[in-house]
Amino acid sequence: MAGLRTRKLNIVDRALGKGRQEVVSQSAFAHLFSEFVQYSQARSITASELERRLEDAGVGIGVRILELASLRDGKTRRETRMLGILQYVHTTIWKALFGKSADALEKVVENEDEFMISEQEPLVNQYISVPAHLPNLNCAAFAAGIIRGALESAGFPAAVQAHTVAADAGGSRTVFLIKFAPEVLARERSLASA
Amino acid sequence: MAAQRPPYQRLGDVAFSKVEKVNAELFTLTYGAVVVQLLKDSEDVEQTSIQLEKMGYNIGVRIIDEFLAKANAGTCTDFKETGEVIAKVAFRMFLGVTVDCRHVVEPNAPADAMPAFHLIIVDNPLVDFVELPEHCSTLAYCNLLCGVVRGALEMVGMRVETKLLKDTLWGDEHTEISVSLKELVHEQYRDDDE
Amino acid sequence: MSGGRLLSLYINNRSGGLIYQRNLSPAAAKLRDNDQLTVASMLSSLALILQELAPTSGSRPMSSLEANGFVLCSYDVPTGLKLVMLAEPGTQGLELLLKAIHALYADYALKNPFYELDMPIKCDKFDERLTRLLHDFTR
Repeated sequence: MAGLRTRKLNIVDRALGKGRQEVVSQSAFAHLFSEFVQYSQARSITASELERRLEDAGVGIGVRILELASLRDGKTRRETRMLGILQYVHTTIWKALFGKSADALEKVVENEDEFMISEQEPLVNQYISVPAHLPNLNCAAFAAGIIRGALESAGFPAAVQAHTVAADAGGSRTVFLIKFAPEVLARERSLASA
Repeated sequence: MAAQRPPYQRLGDVAFSKVEKVNAELFTLTYGAVVVQLLKDSEDVEQTSIQLEKMGYNIGVRIIDEFLAKANAGTCTDFKETGEVIAKVAFRMFLGVTVDCRHVVEPNAPADAMPAFHLIIVDNPLVDFVELPEHCSTLAYCNLLCGVVRGALEMVGMRVETKLLKDTLWGDEHTEISVSLKELVHEQYRDDDE
Repeated sequence: MSGGRLLSLYINNRSGGLIYQRNLSPAAAKLRDNDQLTVASMLSSLALILQELAPTSGSRPMSSLEANGFVLCSYDVPTGLKLVMLAEPGTQGLELLLKAIHALYADYALKNPFYELDMPIKCDKFDERLTRLLHDFTR
């Protein structure tokens, strides 16, 4: 990725941090994200293009948050199984970014390589009302990109898509559909049979 | 040193305690992703600095309403007070940081020179873990903040010029933004025919 | 929280153009869309006149007007946005209500990337939260 890199997190630096902020207002994030959506929309023709731009922007964040989270909980052993990394994403990574675990993690029964992480209302969508003429647009494509970045960085390349789905109690929720790459499935099978 | 916290500081603390919070990392990393995207799209450091200021302006003209609705800061009688309120209440409320406001009197300035102040931010969440690579060492990374101040003030009748003077990413000891008043725009009620 | 009934809500942008209107009671005058726009800009002008006539100098963000069939409470945000509530005489708490509606606007219109400043507010979440707020008010 052109441009910036982040300094490798140094545990000593962290300890000496002089009043480094742990939290900011949700408004600061919401306005920043809203402005980024508008910027991206101006450079997109279709809703899919907009979603792709948002998703791509999220990938780098996924990579970095995995790095930071791993260092913080001193993980010395890397995840090797699909379920393991997914649980790590849907609890630890989600908490690090959004302050809570995702609502649910489910396996897609029909396909060995597919899983779903659901969220009733993704934090990034909290103040967003999708216009009537774009009913399937979901700005949580940004979060899908984050998931993709984290999974890829952990050695589990996958395609991740945010879908708007009707919720049982009316309204809608977001489902992140995760489809692992063939090599991941192959590895999973060989580990399972070992 | 005053035994009591000055009133604006307290207003800022109260406002910050009431707003919903998100993890600072989400904000910091999202900002980084935005900057990377701008650099990618324009391939020009100068243009990116300008674009960041514009994005900040767009945010400023919107975030001002929340400030007016929630901060209870009242009306400022002069530009000096405006600076204090921005530093102690607004920055605290939205970014959780304590910001200093230093009033500036240019030497040899004429008696009717327009007032100005500098905002000094020590623990700027935008720059956490960020390093500017060689080829963008002149990037005004924090220019978004300059735009936010400019946009917000314009919505309440003050046209100002802002400039990023110092930044930790440039090797300085803190982030410093100058804000100078150019024009007061009085919302005079005129006939529609005019 | 209050006695009385809410009749209708108007929100005008900086130029006095109507960006949101909602009738809150069957008793509210049913106006066609064009008439609503006219009433909205008249409300802006009316508020100015009130300020001109006020005995004390300096503008207050809130003003009220009582007429035979209704009370009108108007909240002028320093950004130029104006929120106006018409209610039955004797209704209390309108100032706080308008402030709360302004806060909803700041959240669900202004943080929405698909909402353009000064344009009519067409945001589902704004409508939903407003409904909830008004429901709580009239209980």
